[in-house]
Amino acid sequence: MQNKFSDIELIEQTLAGDQSAYADLIKRHQRFVFTLAMRFTKNREDAEEVAQDCFVKAYRNLSGFGGQSKFSTWLYTIVYTTSMTFLRKRRLDTSSIDDEHNAIQLESKPGSMENNLAERKSQSYYVNQAIAQLLPDDAMIITLFYKGEQSLEEIAATLGMEANNVKVKLFRARQRLKERLEHNLKHETKELI
Amino acid sequence: MNSIEEKLWNYIDGTCSPAEEQAIRNLIAADEVYQRKYQEILALQKELETMELDVPPMAFTYNVMEAIRTEEAQKPLKATIDGRIIKGIAAFFLITIAALVVIALYSSNWSAGSYSGIKLANHVSADISLVTGYTGPAFKAFLFFDVVLALFLFDSYLRKKPVIRQM
Repeated sequence: MQNKFSDIELIEQTLAGDQSAYADLIKRHQRFVFTLAMRFTKNREDAEEVAQDCFVKAYRNLSGFGGQSKFSTWLYTIVYTTSMTFLRKRRLDTSSIDDEHNAIQLESKPGSMENNLAERKSQSYYVNQAIAQLLPDDAMIITLFYKGEQSLEEIAATLGMEANNVKVKLFRARQRLKERLEHNLKHETKELI
Repeated sequence: MNSIEEKLWNYIDGTCSPAEEQAIRNLIAADEVYQRKYQEILALQKELETMELDVPPMAFTYNVMEAIRTEEAQKPLKATIDGRIIKGIAAFFLITIAALVVIALYSSNWSAGSYSGIKLANHVSADISLVTGYTGPAFKAFLFFDVVLALFLFDSYLRKKPVIRQM
């Protein structure tokens, strides 16, 4: 059902007064928007609040979406600005790569991480853990590039910078992720990488 | 000068030129350091491509739609009423008042120039009553409502003026 209409068709239906079309649009993008919000807020409650705020803002400004870019690119711009505003308001401590004492919150993962040894051992867990420890900008660029189906140019539009800068930032973010992974895993790095 | 890692990431992303691509391919095949780094980066690349997205709560869509519905309901009534309806009502009253004035003036006896202002007003009022069939209190209430509406419209007009100037 969700894939029956394109984003543009759903937007047109929403603007014509069909709110269920917007609900379909939310269902289609909610996981990614929520993940991006998680990259900034580092906890589920705040991520839910930010993600919800993003969709409400997008609805409010839907008539202003010109269709020059993909809807997802436009939406991710809203996510980025909303998340940055959230961080400024809350003055969250964003963990740096050398911050040993910062607690890692990965409560978003389905199931209990602490009790699930098998999941703890999964490579995916370690990657998510390392991403959660990156700076929000680094985590966002990696997520947009690998999971958002966004080109360097589209990421540049979302973040309001040049594509070349995004390329450099992406390289640095991946390097920091690799270092973080190696640091976290120590002996287990060899098994993962 | 790009580092080994940077060259390899560019190679994996496909953002380097064909000549660079060929050169890196040769280095991976010939150089052990390149080979090892390439395998490391490739493994991380695969992990990143297959990482899972976070899942929002089950009621997320419902909560967003509820928030939107609440916001829509809280929109001031002024914003939801079509301005043309207000203007239509105003036009109706203005035309009615204008018509009453014209009828009153048309039916007045202007030859009796010695009438005082009060007498003329009474005469006009009587004529209007005759023509429209309005009784005294009903007519006064109607006029009072018209005056209030006119003041309201005048107030709206004056409020709009500074906004236009600011723009």
